[in-house]
Amino acid sequence: MNDNSPSPERRVRQGMDYGETEDVQQVHAAIHREKREPHAGLEPLSLWLIAIYGLAIFFGGAYLGRYSGNFGGDGLDPFVGVAPSKKGPHGPGDAGPAAELSQADRGKKIFSANCAVCHQPNGLGAAGQGYPPLAGSEYVNGGTRRLTMIVLKGLQGPVTVKGAQYGTAVMQPWDKTLSDAKIADVLTYIRQEWGNTGGPVTPEGVAALRKELAAHPDSFTEPDLKAVPEDANLPGGEAPASKPGEPPKPAPPPKA
Amino acid sequence: MDPSDLPLTPPATAAVVTTPEQDVTTRDVERVERALIDASTRLPVLFFYASAIAWLLLGTLLAGLTSWKLHAPNLLADCAFLTWGRLRPAHMNVMLYGWASMAGIGTAIWLMARLCRTTLRHPLLLITGGAFWNLGVILGVGGILVGESTGYEWLEFPPYAAVVLFVAYSLVVSWAMLMFRFRRGDHIYITQWYLLAAFLWFPWVYGATHVMLFLTPVQGVMQQAVTWWFANNLLFLWFGAIGLGTVYYMIPKVIGRPVYSYHLAAIGFWTYALFASWTGMQRLVDGPFPAWMITASIAATILTIIPVATVGLNHHMTMRGQFGLLRYSPTLRFTVFGAISYTVFSLVGVVLSLRSVAGYVHFTETSVAYTHMGLYAFFTMVMFGSMYYIVPRLVGREWRYASLIKLHFWSSTYGVGLMVLMLLVGGFAQGVSMHDPSLAFTESTESVMPYLRGRSVSGMLMTVAHFVFAFHFGLMLFGLGRTASVPTFLNPQEEEALEARL
Repeated sequence: MNDNSPSPERRVRQGMDYGETEDVQQVHAAIHREKREPHAGLEPLSLWLIAIYGLAIFFGGAYLGRYSGNFGGDGLDPFVGVAPSKKGPHGPGDAGPAAELSQADRGKKIFSANCAVCHQPNGLGAAGQGYPPLAGSEYVNGGTRRLTMIVLKGLQGPVTVKGAQYGTAVMQPWDKTLSDAKIADVLTYIRQEWGNTGGPVTPEGVAALRKELAAHPDSFTEPDLKAVPEDANLPGGEAPASKPGEPPKPAPPPKA
Repeated sequence: MDPSDLPLTPPATAAVVTTPEQDVTTRDVERVERALIDASTRLPVLFFYASAIAWLLLGTLLAGLTSWKLHAPNLLADCAFLTWGRLRPAHMNVMLYGWASMAGIGTAIWLMARLCRTTLRHPLLLITGGAFWNLGVILGVGGILVGESTGYEWLEFPPYAAVVLFVAYSLVVSWAMLMFRFRRGDHIYITQWYLLAAFLWFPWVYGATHVMLFLTPVQGVMQQAVTWWFANNLLFLWFGAIGLGTVYYMIPKVIGRPVYSYHLAAIGFWTYALFASWTGMQRLVDGPFPAWMITASIAATILTIIPVATVGLNHHMTMRGQFGLLRYSPTLRFTVFGAISYTVFSLVGVVLSLRSVAGYVHFTETSVAYTHMGLYAFFTMVMFGSMYYIVPRLVGREWRYASLIKLHFWSSTYGVGLMVLMLLVGGFAQGVSMHDPSLAFTESTESVMPYLRGRSVSGMLMTVAHFVFAFHFGLMLFGLGRTASVPTFLNPQEEEALEARL
């Protein structure tokens, strides 16, 4: 198309850019012969390419699965196979995740997830809405039996805690939601937090009481609790927490 | 003159159906527009190119010394600042930040201006950015040579140099962003995707790494994870994106055909952004890291097959039937070589990342080969190609000697080919003997010696190439190019060459 030269005026305007005196046609030769700015066509995707995508995704995914080391921090390279999985299943009745967390630490997590909404993270409850405090409460610091009863089956009706009357709110039963181990953990936590002085609670004790109360249909009321001696403990007693409740020793690191 | 004064027609990207006469007018206006844009970008782009080529020469000399010392360790070993431990990082950083980044920025600015159809305002400020960038590299390389290297691969510049680089970068990129902001026409071409992405990725990768290594350092071995994440991301998301963007412009531009498929380009771009940013840790196989971190990088590397196959197919189909033009157009020849190298580089990268292979070859010369495939055979060759295209438009002259271009191409090609071959094979040999417990460690290093000598020979070829190119570029810079209306073809024009409008 070079024979379609621009008009003379335009040539001058083009030539001014370089401020040179050479023939405008020559100076701008590169621009004149240039093709238009590129654009993209719209050819469809070929099936072969889609097959390659599929293969790459399959291969990459398989590789990820094979060598992921369960995505754990302890499955170290040099890769020697899948990292040892956590000991035992995590169902109800199990001692919970076999981590190095203490019983109270695990209980704290359970408390934040389930209890803190009403009883507040600081354990002081919310008097305005009828939630009694746990800090300094005689039910929490006393024997473990009454406390476990409340948590397993719930509580309704008026209740007197630390000399104040509560009871516009209802506590739900937790026996369907939390395992024995979790109830033991959370009770141990609230009995040792906020200046409370109670001893630990064992999963076995909770299990025994759960069996005992299995036929009990509905929530307890304050008279039900008063019927139980204040210092009555769970069937297992305040067994030293180390024996069954303690998590198993952390798995030995994989031998390289 | 403000280009908006011109009676512009809709962007040329739309398939304009016009009568021949109208067509002539449209093309005419486009030509004036291009001339204005080229004039506005002339000083900054030439400044970036000239600086880049100066750094290229220095980096080549440093590379020669680095390579030579591996088989002649007593060479210049008495000067502290010429010891291997300082020369090697100096070479790498000069090439990364001096040559490759500056050349890439120069090309990116020009492409951005052309594709946004806007002139570059206040080009002198951009030169200030370039000057700061040079200052940063000078400070950084000086810092490395006097022994203030940080010790992190590809990040050896002392922090004060990195700060200067970052300031320079902000100055430069704000200009590219402004051009994009003031673009005309509603079409955003594929090259612009890549360039814009690269301009945003670089500060992210560079900044995040500096925060994690220097401001609030992560602990222990995790610093190595950050370092290799940085190295691979710099390679893919900064150099790779600029290089691919340039290829997407140069091939269709020179052969005058549209890119094969917009869909392929979109898939290639987004999957590249998604997967390439995960790579890096595959270089640490068998290191003291959680297995999943390394495996995630390997899986991402495997998945980069998707963008690589897509982009490769797109370029191939665009070129189909036009390969004969490689005989004539220097731009096309360098660019296509680079595009093919990109595919090879990526596929080799996939193979090298697999645990069974990496166990042998990582921590050997093979990873040097891999890096040179990416940074030289792909990126540097594409940059050479773009310079052969852009410089004549900036200085208003044609390249003087076709023979010099040919010499440049062939010594670069044979140089990098020989180097990659030597280091790949040598790295495998080294890895195998390092894995053999019956061999002393020294025997594994001795087994690499012939390959290292071969690498030095290949380096000499590349040195020739670079000095030839620098000389040729100097001729152009001082107005000693040819004044002619036909481009400098590599071979005498035959009939088919008339199609090549390089």
